[in-house]
Amino acid sequence: MHCLAGYNLTKSYIDSDQRIDVLKGCSLEVEEARIVCITGQSGCGKSTLLHLLGLLDSPDAGEVSIGGRKVTSQSAEASLIRNKELGFVFQFHFLIEDLNARENVALPLIIAGESTSKALHRASDLLASLGLAERIFRYPNQLSGGEQQRVSLARALINNPRIILADEPTGNLDPTHSSEVWQMMQELNKQQGQAFIIVTHDLQSARLAHQTYNLDQGILNPV
Amino acid sequence: MDNLERFFLSRYFRSPKRNLLRFSFLFMTLGIVLSVGILSAGLNLFEGYERSLKDVLLGSLPHLSIQRSEGTYFSEAETDSLITRLHKFAFINRISPVIQYSVMSVGNSKVRGANLSAYDFSGKYPLPFSRYVQQGTSNLNSKEIIVGSYLASELGKSLGDTLKIVYPRLDRISALGMFPAEYNFRIAGIYRSGFYETDRSLLICTSTDAREILEILAGFSKLEINLRSRDADQAGKIASELQIILGEKYTVYSWTQFSAGLLRLVAMEKWLIFIIFSFLVLIAGINVISTVTTLILDKKNEIAVLKTVGSHARSIKRIFVLQTGLVSVLSIILGQLFGMLLSFLVEKQHFYKLKGDVYFIDSLKASISPVNQLVIFGAAFMIVFLCIHFPLKQIDKQQIIEILRNQ
Repeated sequence: MHCLAGYNLTKSYIDSDQRIDVLKGCSLEVEEARIVCITGQSGCGKSTLLHLLGLLDSPDAGEVSIGGRKVTSQSAEASLIRNKELGFVFQFHFLIEDLNARENVALPLIIAGESTSKALHRASDLLASLGLAERIFRYPNQLSGGEQQRVSLARALINNPRIILADEPTGNLDPTHSSEVWQMMQELNKQQGQAFIIVTHDLQSARLAHQTYNLDQGILNPV
Repeated sequence: MDNLERFFLSRYFRSPKRNLLRFSFLFMTLGIVLSVGILSAGLNLFEGYERSLKDVLLGSLPHLSIQRSEGTYFSEAETDSLITRLHKFAFINRISPVIQYSVMSVGNSKVRGANLSAYDFSGKYPLPFSRYVQQGTSNLNSKEIIVGSYLASELGKSLGDTLKIVYPRLDRISALGMFPAEYNFRIAGIYRSGFYETDRSLLICTSTDAREILEILAGFSKLEINLRSRDADQAGKIASELQIILGEKYTVYSWTQFSAGLLRLVAMEKWLIFIIFSFLVLIAGINVISTVTTLILDKKNEIAVLKTVGSHARSIKRIFVLQTGLVSVLSIILGQLFGMLLSFLVEKQHFYKLKGDVYFIDSLKASISPVNQLVIFGAAFMIVFLCIHFPLKQIDKQQIIEILRNQ
């Protein structure tokens, strides 16, 4: 049973009056509790594909299905799906500077309608489980790069989403912190059964995935 | 207000230093504080001027006056009978019979026209001017006079000096022409109401001395009536009602016939000042637009993140409104306090005095009216609130994907 799928996804951009076809009918199905890596050269369209799958952008053609339902980024339920079913981790942590680590992590839960006190409590527990118990009241600028990314991962996980979409999650980290984050994603996948779709150009790390795709010249091929 | 908005609002109150006292808000806050402060100070001073003028007018001038329509004098008996009749009306506070006529006052080779008001100092009737006698006594004996402060100053006279009163009598004509009557009075009091016109022309003496000058035996030329303070504004209506009751034999005048236009003009000027100074808040509003626009650009990553994790643009806009709205409300209140301080300082300063001959009163007083403060708050809030909303459209336009891609 696949929890997320994209069929014949195409996307093109106009750059200086020139049409650039980034995705030329890409399809993939991600089964539950699987780690799927999408690799490819820089600028080949990996992030674009991830954004389409995460309902952050609309494809020119093709469709995205989440939990067997066809959805678009423009639909009224897109915000709800992004909040409850999907979790996002980006290369840049995108933490809110005016909120501390615990408050940043609690945000998706608060948006989902959970009371602030319960949301903060759960965020503290989650941060503690990710080894950040001492850092929950720190603001993003008081955290190291690895810690920032772990807080970002905690934010993606707080709502217990079925799918985590990670765009170069270790792209800004040194090798030590990078392997920590990869290890953490693997553990979460094993413990909680969440599916991970990870865009990376780190082929060595991509070997840890259950399935790997390579995107080349707009075509997605299984490796 | 949804969960997320309540969450951000609680953050703003819990750590205001981090969320509200930001450097980016500094110029927006300064603009609002200064413009609202000037608006508030302007209105406080105009309100004070309006109230002072009205107080002085209503305090120094009779609210109503009754004269015989023929222009002849009231007899003592007629005066008493009329006073008894009038005292039955609850709105009447005080009735003082008076003899009034124009004279010339002479001092140090200067001659000034003056209005002589003569009252009965026997204690039978109340005296309306006592509270304005600033020097000397308000209880006169024969050949004693109270002089308006500006008149005394123009004639170079002070307390205890002798003042010559000249009354031109048409019935005393000699071969050399008209022969005016001259009388010397000792200045026993200096009168100062603050109303320039009165302080520059008023002389008060006893009715006995006045009758001697006029060569009449008894009677009064006029009844001066003071209404209860809450009825003073209704003087015009009351005068019409009394006119009907008293009939054609008497003519009833109200203060509104002579001075209400002046107060209406001042009130109109006050609101003109309000409109003009409101433009300052509008200019501060442009600063608000600029600050909110910069804030949205500055926070584009955070907006993208909130959208990514499922928040609606509507909710994000409200968070911005809450943050900038809170800062603006605090700035408006600070501005109003600054305006109060400013008007207090203007009131207490000694560098600039009003010219009584131009502005009718010579002291600048501020008055803080709750209604005016509410109007200032309401107008400033409305202008600033509109200015906050104007740039929020950008949040709708911001595409998550553009922001993520640019990172």
